[in-house]
Amino acid sequence: MGCGAQPPSDVSALVEVDELRVRFGADVEAVRGVSFSLDAGDTLAIVGESGSGKSTLAHCLVGLIQPPEASGSVQVGGHEMLGADPATLRSVRWSTAAIALQGAPFNPVATVGAQVAEPLRDRFRTSRSKARRQASALAEEVALDPSLLDRYPHQLSGGERRRAALAMALALDPQLVILDEPTAGLDSATRRDVVARVRALADQRGFALIVISHDLPDAAQLAERVMVLYAGEAVELGDTRRVIGEPAHPYSWALVGAYPVMSTTKDLRPIRGRAPDPRLVPPGCAFHPRCTQAESVCRESHPDLVESRRRLVACHFGGLKELLRAIGISKFFHGGDHEVQALDQVSLTVNEGESVGLIGPSGSGKSTLARILTGHLAPDSGRVLLGDVELEASWRGGAARSLRRRIQLVMQDPNDALSPRLTVEELVREPLDVDAVLDSEARRGAVAEMLDSVGLPCSGPFLDARIHELSGGQMQRVALARALVLRPKLLVADEPTAMLDASEQARMLTVLRERQIEMGLGLVLVSHDMAVVRKVVDRIVVIDHGRVVEEGPSQQVSVVPSSLAARRLVEAAPAFVALTELTDRQHCDERST
Amino acid sequence: MSSATHRSRLLHVGLTLLGVVVLVAVFAPLLSSHDPKAISGPALESPSARHWLGTDNPGHDIFTQAVFGARVSLAVGFIAGSLTMLAAILVGVLPALTGGFADRSASRAVVVLLALPGLPLIVLIGSLAGDSRLSVISVIAFIGIAPNARILRAQALTLRQRGYITAARGFGGGPMYVLRRHLVPGLAPLVVVGFVNWAGLAIGLEAGLAFLGVGDPTGVSWGLMLNRALNEQSIYFSGMWTWWVLPPGLAIALTVLGFTFVGVGLEPTFNPRWLRAT
Repeated sequence: MGCGAQPPSDVSALVEVDELRVRFGADVEAVRGVSFSLDAGDTLAIVGESGSGKSTLAHCLVGLIQPPEASGSVQVGGHEMLGADPATLRSVRWSTAAIALQGAPFNPVATVGAQVAEPLRDRFRTSRSKARRQASALAEEVALDPSLLDRYPHQLSGGERRRAALAMALALDPQLVILDEPTAGLDSATRRDVVARVRALADQRGFALIVISHDLPDAAQLAERVMVLYAGEAVELGDTRRVIGEPAHPYSWALVGAYPVMSTTKDLRPIRGRAPDPRLVPPGCAFHPRCTQAESVCRESHPDLVESRRRLVACHFGGLKELLRAIGISKFFHGGDHEVQALDQVSLTVNEGESVGLIGPSGSGKSTLARILTGHLAPDSGRVLLGDVELEASWRGGAARSLRRRIQLVMQDPNDALSPRLTVEELVREPLDVDAVLDSEARRGAVAEMLDSVGLPCSGPFLDARIHELSGGQMQRVALARALVLRPKLLVADEPTAMLDASEQARMLTVLRERQIEMGLGLVLVSHDMAVVRKVVDRIVVIDHGRVVEEGPSQQVSVVPSSLAARRLVEAAPAFVALTELTDRQHCDERST
Repeated sequence: MSSATHRSRLLHVGLTLLGVVVLVAVFAPLLSSHDPKAISGPALESPSARHWLGTDNPGHDIFTQAVFGARVSLAVGFIAGSLTMLAAILVGVLPALTGGFADRSASRAVVVLLALPGLPLIVLIGSLAGDSRLSVISVIAFIGIAPNARILRAQALTLRQRGYITAARGFGGGPMYVLRRHLVPGLAPLVVVGFVNWAGLAIGLEAGLAFLGVGDPTGVSWGLMLNRALNEQSIYFSGMWTWWVLPPGLAIALTVLGFTFVGVGLEPTFNPRWLRAT
């Protein structure tokens, strides 16, 4: 039951939760077996989407939910909260563990000041005037104007009420403060203030803090450790920097990608599918219907929270699977009597569902690498592994061919990539014809579905058109539909928008991203255009003269590049002058805070 | 008149011409009652009810010869055309697809063949090869190999580099699939058009060779008819040429024209962009 980041200690842990389960009614399991511990002075953020069971968990910590709904064990300050008698609960609440509930609910017929002082008066029988003085002191600590204490709750703004709730929680100087959605619904400036205040107070008073939030960035700023909840159970638990910076569980990764933050240049990445109805939680791993790397074991058996990648992850594969790994790829081309080295010991990794941008100037070797990754060119040295199977250089054999089908290539010039003799329908159907698994009716359906998904007409005369009747953008989308019809795991797009004009380029990139998310594909996008790449990819790998010169998250490489090649590419990338000034200013502001 | 309609009219005219020739060849025995090789009447007789185009020097019926000659011409055209294209595929396409040593040697062989002068060569080989019709056909087929192989090889090389071939391999298509689905349709138009053109040329060449005395002197062919006609010294002085020279000459011309028209007319069928662009 220990957590990887902390030494196991039963006696000194402030909070010890073991196999907590909460069931409402006959069929709603809000919490399905959560275990964690928290030492004095530590901070933990519990994050997840609405309905993941976070608030329910918080309520259990202060004994607001009792058996028979709750089962398992919740120990706070050495006291077992589940099944405790009222006296024990009273002694723990407010003085050991205090909670600021979601939405800062106050009694509307009493003044804020009276309510903030309530714990003091209740526990220590303090006189009204003394309590009032202490409440004012508390208000000042939470940066709340003490004169507001004489007002009624409805006369305070949301931020002020939150602070009042915080003051109330701090009244008896508890060892554990639980904040349930402290920043929800606040504007960004207020949010920033609340976060800063809480951090300062935690430092000063030294209490342990549990922050419950659906807002990942805020939670990340407040806690050293984070626990990601999905459908009532923990899927990842570890160091905040690790979990947010390099999420291991597919859900954590998807969650991080779904948040709009200034530090990401990439477009939002919605998580496909929907959070499950608590009455109908999927069997096995609850996330498997939305997971891009799910296999049959994920449906059949439930993964435990185990140590993996220096944190705890609940996944049969220990977290995101590696989809493609190229190791030490070198390639030489012989031209007459001299030899050109196109690639020199290049290594590249792509995880499931991840998109990687391969960027470099012309002649850097990126197209060569794209061809080697898709098996159309054999490297002179090095290996390419798809999952854990090595890609052979030869095409012979059924096994090699079925492996090849899982990586597809979209080429730069659709005029070359599509046969002029075939109709649109025949073109998109070709991979299915080669595969020869589906019957012709099913093939037609698959073709129509794919064409529709890339935004092209899926019936009528368009299907009988030939490529010379189509625009560049339409042709490239046909090529994309063709590449996707076999549902590959990885797509390599070699300068897919180079031959398209601006509007078609935007459309193509949008479609590419959308398809990637929906189908859970890995994507390698090869380009010379930094502006294009950074909108689409999670990570950027910079190649120059056949070598990898820089690698990192897209916001890092595209905004503060360290290598010369990357800097040149950033400068060369097209930009509207006024917009760059704006973003520069925003980045300066961000860096200074 | 637009190009497309023009071409399709040519196609129709060509097909009609060839159709007539084919019908004549097929129904030859029904069209004439004489045996082309038998002496059926007095020599050099003018056209009459019994001999529609008169008789030649030894006394054969000219009309019968003309009609049966169609069979020879068509056979020569068809066989020579097929042999040429088959050889051109073997020499031009297969090496280009496999590459390497085979490709290099084949392309050098083609270059050498192209350098040789056609007609003198054909006459030389023909006269040396002997008198059988088969050797004539072989010789005609032989000189057609190089130009067709060059065209087919160029197309095969172009096709092989195309992105959609790469893509097809990416879907798991093996070499046989690529051949069947992409290479054959890409080369077939050239093969068909080449066949049609060369068949026409072959007919003309055969006629020419027969005219020059190369080939089977006992056979029945338009060229041989011309050979005999022009050996007759008084052919032009008596108006004999109208019923002895003109018919076979016209037959040759119209047949070759028919093949050519079909060849030209077929092109749009195989080139979709051309079809729609016009």
